[in-house]
Amino acid sequence: MAGEAISKAFSLKPDQDLNPPPAKKKRNLPGTPDPDAEVIALSPKTLMATNRFLCEICGKGFQRDQNLQLHRRGHNLPWKLRQRSTKEPRKRVYVCPEKTCIHHNPLRALGDLTGIKKHFCRKHGEKKWKCDKCSKRYAVQSDWKAHSKTCGTREYRCDCGTLFSRRDSFITHRAFCDALAEEAARVSAVSNQGNNTAAGNINYLFTGGLMRSNMLQNLPSNMKPNMANNNVEGIGQCRDELSLWMGHGSQSNEHLSNASMHHIGSMGGAATLHGDLFASNSYAQQIDQNQLSWLYSSKLPCSSNNGELTSTMKEATDGSQSLLASVPSLFSNQHQDRPPPMSDMSATALLQKAAQIGVTSTTPFEEHNKFDGLLSSSHPSSLENIMNEFMVANSYDMYSATRRHGSSKDDLGGGGGGGGGGGETRDFLGVGVQTLCPSSINGWI
Amino acid sequence: MIQFTHSSAILLPPPPPSFHHNDLLNPNHQLLHRASRPWTASAAKFHGSCFTAAGCMEELLVHCADAIEANDDTLAQQLLWVLNNLAPHDGDCNQRLTAAFLRALIVRASKIGSFDLLTPTFASSTSLHLHRFSAVDLASFIDLTPWHRFGYTAANAAIVDAVEGFQIVHIVDLSTTHCMQIPTLIDMLANRPEGPPFIRLTVATTTSTISPPPMLDLSYQELGAKLVNFARSRNVVMEFTTIPSSPTDAFVSLIEQLRVQRLVSEGEALIVNCQMMLHYIPDETAGVITRSMFLKSVRSLEPNLVIVVDEDADFTADDVLVRLRSAFNYLWIAYDAIDAFLPRESERRRWYEAGIGWRIENVIAHEGLQRVERVESKGRWAQRMRGAGFRAVEFGEEAVGEVKTLVDEHARGWGVRKGDQEELVLTWKGHHVVFASAWVPS
Repeated sequence: MAGEAISKAFSLKPDQDLNPPPAKKKRNLPGTPDPDAEVIALSPKTLMATNRFLCEICGKGFQRDQNLQLHRRGHNLPWKLRQRSTKEPRKRVYVCPEKTCIHHNPLRALGDLTGIKKHFCRKHGEKKWKCDKCSKRYAVQSDWKAHSKTCGTREYRCDCGTLFSRRDSFITHRAFCDALAEEAARVSAVSNQGNNTAAGNINYLFTGGLMRSNMLQNLPSNMKPNMANNNVEGIGQCRDELSLWMGHGSQSNEHLSNASMHHIGSMGGAATLHGDLFASNSYAQQIDQNQLSWLYSSKLPCSSNNGELTSTMKEATDGSQSLLASVPSLFSNQHQDRPPPMSDMSATALLQKAAQIGVTSTTPFEEHNKFDGLLSSSHPSSLENIMNEFMVANSYDMYSATRRHGSSKDDLGGGGGGGGGGGETRDFLGVGVQTLCPSSINGWI
Repeated sequence: MIQFTHSSAILLPPPPPSFHHNDLLNPNHQLLHRASRPWTASAAKFHGSCFTAAGCMEELLVHCADAIEANDDTLAQQLLWVLNNLAPHDGDCNQRLTAAFLRALIVRASKIGSFDLLTPTFASSTSLHLHRFSAVDLASFIDLTPWHRFGYTAANAAIVDAVEGFQIVHIVDLSTTHCMQIPTLIDMLANRPEGPPFIRLTVATTTSTISPPPMLDLSYQELGAKLVNFARSRNVVMEFTTIPSSPTDAFVSLIEQLRVQRLVSEGEALIVNCQMMLHYIPDETAGVITRSMFLKSVRSLEPNLVIVVDEDADFTADDVLVRLRSAFNYLWIAYDAIDAFLPRESERRRWYEAGIGWRIENVIAHEGLQRVERVESKGRWAQRMRGAGFRAVEFGEEAVGEVKTLVDEHARGWGVRKGDQEELVLTWKGHHVVFASAWVPS
């Protein structure tokens, strides 16, 4: 390594004498080196090497100067050479080994070995330091540390009060949030009163901030979004807050909403400048209607208001036409009687039951919504075949289950395996078909 | 008359929760052969019910479908009964998945003439309640999982790269999620060092009666107005245009408009951004060549970039049994992933699951052009794109980084990997979910 250490050393001014002048070290602009300085060009390997203190006698490298000095003592140098050289070391500047880099030019050399190392790393090196929270990679450890301190500590808040931990979610929300429309409408109204710069973006920039704070101040305090909402649904994107803010009526709030609707109408007029969006009149009407319907029919549950929650849930449930609801006797009644007993039976048990039931009634199915029993099976063998397949499968399952877990628990559609529950003798071959009886079911833990 | 619910109602404790079956299934057994799928240890956390249950449900569903196809009413009804008891729609995610398929089978059975007995009972109760979203609601909804935003993020990065230097950018957004990708794209373009371009945004508003969820509760005009307003707030001038056009006819009217417009668009970058929409264009399995035709038409517009983001699965088989297995072995992911994020009683989860239920019904119960959910694998899409005269471009390092950041912020099961041909793939517990690919004319 010593041989490669300094591949070439030359100075910018060839006729420089060996005692360079100044005691004062002034800091040049980066990349504009002191013309008197000695330019060192290190190879990438050397540059990235950690041992930059080199013994001039044997060439061994050390990370710290103290260690180098300790080592030099071992060479038994004559006295005068033992000291460090008295002359001021010549100012050294370093060039970047990367040919395409601007700092490869000696005129743009960097003055600090640490500096050139960092530069080389950052620009041309492998980024091996990765931030935990985001995907950013860094080649220089100190850069990485600096970033880690600030990463992820940002939170994004929309004017409507909703908080976001991710920028993309925030941006998407903000684009469609009525808070933005409101702000734009207000700004547009203001600018219309002044000089008519309906299409002027500049007004938005200047007055946007003002409008926002005004808007929030105008809200009565009890309508301010509830930040402390416990979100049962994952990360902090509580849509409920928006409905609180815009929604369910106090007088002043309705007034605000009505006012905002008119503003949106006027904004609609401005927007027709760009392409063929919509006729301004129809747009205003449309948005009014939609605002109204949205305000008055918002059905989203508010986690801070449990009463509302249950009622909206019920609505949704009723709305979703479960196919089970209308045939109570055929299917287990999972809305009314809360415990769903059948689903905890094993598939095989259910199959058995289905097969047994087949014989009872042959009354054709009618619309009084009651099922008088399954039709008699004209091909009893088909269901039996399926059952047998399952039994065999179960026996494998049971077997391997006990081998691995040493317990009788087997979960086949939620129930005990083909042979019955825990503690009972298992029939691995599936030969003895157990009839459905309470004891075998209860045996399953 | 036998009443099953009351007389034999036996209260049983729920099955033991964290019960893992790793190699429970004997791969030699002909019935339960799910072992062929890649299987990670974390998949064992399939909440509540174990792996065997899923295999069991799948087999019962297949047997049931088979009975329906064979017009074996009795067997079909018996199996429907069993399945219904095994899989309440509000059970664990496995049960919910099965319940959705069960529902779809019932719809299918009622459409096949011979099932007169079933029809009166079931037909009345099979309507799914699809929620209509406001724009803000939809914005929050698509962030429940990275299912959609994965594609948005990858696409936006590729788009911004592709339009560097262009002062006018025309984005054709063909997406099932109604422009939810656009705000972040506007934001990125607004932050360009060279300043934002003039943006033309064109969207196809479907004229078809069969429209997949999610549904909007506002018109596209209003949606567009909001977007234009947002762009303005970022100092970006944007023009929003809607063209009535639908995937059923391969967006013929849209292509025509674009063709005309392209003739006079000097110096304008054209981006065609397809997010989950292309699989609604009928393909050869529906007896038409519209899918490849569409891609060739797009190619003829000389676009600067075409983004193809879709689901990596195959729902195109003619045989309903094969389709059932494919769909079951793919859509379990949707149920499992939401389970990791929303509680069981959550309303949003209901909306989400209703949306998947719609798709399952479409795959299983419908045929011909009514069956619009013709998802095909990323390999097939790549073949089509190449056949149409495109070549794949890779996503830059930054794009990959952003996608990974996004995915890291979601539940632990989500991951990203690079496909074998420049595409990026979103994975859930190791299984492929969505792929994102970028194409330029070759």
